Amino acid sequence: MPRDLTRIASPDKPETERNWWVHVILLAVCVIAMLPVVWMVMTAFMPRDVAKAVPPQWLFPPTLDAFRMLIFEQGMLGFLKNSLIVSVSSTLLSVTIGMFCAYALARFEFAGKEDVSFWILTNRMMPAVAVILPMFLIFKTLNLLDTYVGLILLYTAMQLPFVVWMLKGYFEDIPRQLEEIALVDGDTWFGAFRRVVLPLMTPAITATAIFVLILSWNEYAFALFLSGSATKTLPPAVVIFAVNAEVSWDVLGAACLIITAPIMIFVIAVQKQFIRGLSMGMVR
Amino acid sequence: MADLRIEQLTRRFGASAPALDDISFSVAEQEFVFLLGPSGAGKTTTLRLTAGLDQPDGGRILLGGRDMAGIAPRERNVAMVYDKHSLYPHLDVFENMAYPLRLRAMAEAEIRSRIGRVSEILGIGHLMERHSAQLSGGQQQRVAIGRALVRDAAIYLMDEPISHLDAKLRAHMRVEFKKLQREFAATILYVSHDQLEAMTMGDRIVVLDQGKVQQIGTPRDIFDRPANRFVAEFVGEPAMNTIVCDRQQEAGIWRVVAPDFALQLDSGWVMRNALHNRAPGPVVLGLRPEQLTLAPPDQAGQPNVESGRIYAVETLGSETVYDIETGGTLLRLWSRRNAGSLSLPPIGAPVHFRVDPLALHLFDAASGVALAHPEPGLAVAA
Repeated sequence: MPRDLTRIASPDKPETERNWWVHVILLAVCVIAMLPVVWMVMTAFMPRDVAKAVPPQWLFPPTLDAFRMLIFEQGMLGFLKNSLIVSVSSTLLSVTIGMFCAYALARFEFAGKEDVSFWILTNRMMPAVAVILPMFLIFKTLNLLDTYVGLILLYTAMQLPFVVWMLKGYFEDIPRQLEEIALVDGDTWFGAFRRVVLPLMTPAITATAIFVLILSWNEYAFALFLSGSATKTLPPAVVIFAVNAEVSWDVLGAACLIITAPIMIFVIAVQKQFIRGLSMGMVR
Repeated sequence: MADLRIEQLTRRFGASAPALDDISFSVAEQEFVFLLGPSGAGKTTTLRLTAGLDQPDGGRILLGGRDMAGIAPRERNVAMVYDKHSLYPHLDVFENMAYPLRLRAMAEAEIRSRIGRVSEILGIGHLMERHSAQLSGGQQQRVAIGRALVRDAAIYLMDEPISHLDAKLRAHMRVEFKKLQREFAATILYVSHDQLEAMTMGDRIVVLDQGKVQQIGTPRDIFDRPANRFVAEFVGEPAMNTIVCDRQQEAGIWRVVAPDFALQLDSGWVMRNALHNRAPGPVVLGLRPEQLTLAPPDQAGQPNVESGRIYAVETLGSETVYDIETGGTLLRLWSRRNAGSLSLPPIGAPVHFRVDPLALHLFDAASGVALAHPEPGLAVAA
């Protein structure tokens, strides 16, 4: 039977939508995942009696009372500032140091290279609680308790293994020839690194930095033990509102919103670079 | 411009056989020299050592008479083009070509004029604002070559710059390259595994195999007078036929006896190649496919007309390659005649072919060293 050649679609034409149910599942997952977040945001704007109401009320006159209380009475902005200082500094430090470590591990051959890589990874395997007491003693001895420097150093050390392992793979994907060509073109080693490797690594470094920033921002255990009134970050601060005799849900919701909103806004703003970094496919 | 001298260069990777074993050769100013050899021969290693990207375990590299030991790549003033990944993906074509010039703090006007000149010659002027991902393979390599040419490098090192292009573009680039080299009066050391590139473009060829220099010579030399069996088989397409034979003497007449045929050697040729001084024994007979000719059936039995069976016929349009089976070995015969005008012999048909007794290569069976070459000035049989 002769084929009707005129009816053959171009291979570039998108496939006809057949698995519509995938979208249904995705939608369901999204709703389930978003519901608590939506509820949290709503709680933040509820008057106190509505927040406590059982069964929950979906309609209410929004109010900023909880925020007012948090910001003016509890000094929430101070905690926010502490969180920002600690997370941003430790992210900058760990990504900068980790970048060079990862580059060395990816590019140079030296004895025990595999062991070093694995040792770095094992640092990440240890649960935080296992070292909280020793850390506390070390911090006390070094007078680092309740200081920015202490927390920044600790977070940097904690995030380094992650940064090194994530960036190592990306560095390995960049053809060595590009650097060699730069050297032959007349560049120094560091010039080649700065002018050729770093621009190519920007998406990967951005993605890593975002990860690290989120991890540092959310860190709770160490911050609880090692920070004090001067440096308390947001996660341990929120607990204050949860452990009162009576939980003020509206305040707790507002506090959670203050913690999560910066990160959510940040991730939405940089999601393009984030995804580009994670799927870095520009060098083939 | 400068000349390059490589002296007894050795490079080992680990405990295995050295990647480069005591190689020496030179590239004169404005000369186009090829490093030719199969993969793993040590060609790229030689190039990297010359560029300073790797350090030798022994020997010296002299560029313009200056010993390059301990000198960083950026201070050697060499330009290099790789087979791929030759362009910075984050820069457009113009910035790629400007990169080496900017490092030398050249004035912007001078940069523009140099890039303008080179890109015009290479025909890449319209690509200046594109990134490498938006270029075809041929365009990428052109830009890479352009980036090398904008510099006044002492020597240009080319690592198979066109071997990943398609056949037609390669043929075009071969011609271009030769022209460019003259136009820029460039000293070029060019690495290739493609004997065709080396034969068509090179002033001289250094044949490498397993880290050793097999032969250095002009393309004609390498082709007509290969120094050993490796060179003979590597250079030439279709490759030379080689058959292990026995060289015998009987009443002053020398013959080489193959499993299925015997050739009577020309006594003058034997004398000129001083073969009569060597004791009889096993040799490797080398026959270039283009120097075998088909013989009509009525010539069967004449001296130096041998017979076999057709194993396969490859028609290449204006040429035909016959694979002939004789005594368990396959011989290839390359005829310049268009088989289309003849009736193609069927597979398995008996066939006769003539061997020109003056167009033989003989190699030592054990060492592979050439013992005798064809008579110089032999016209290739039609």
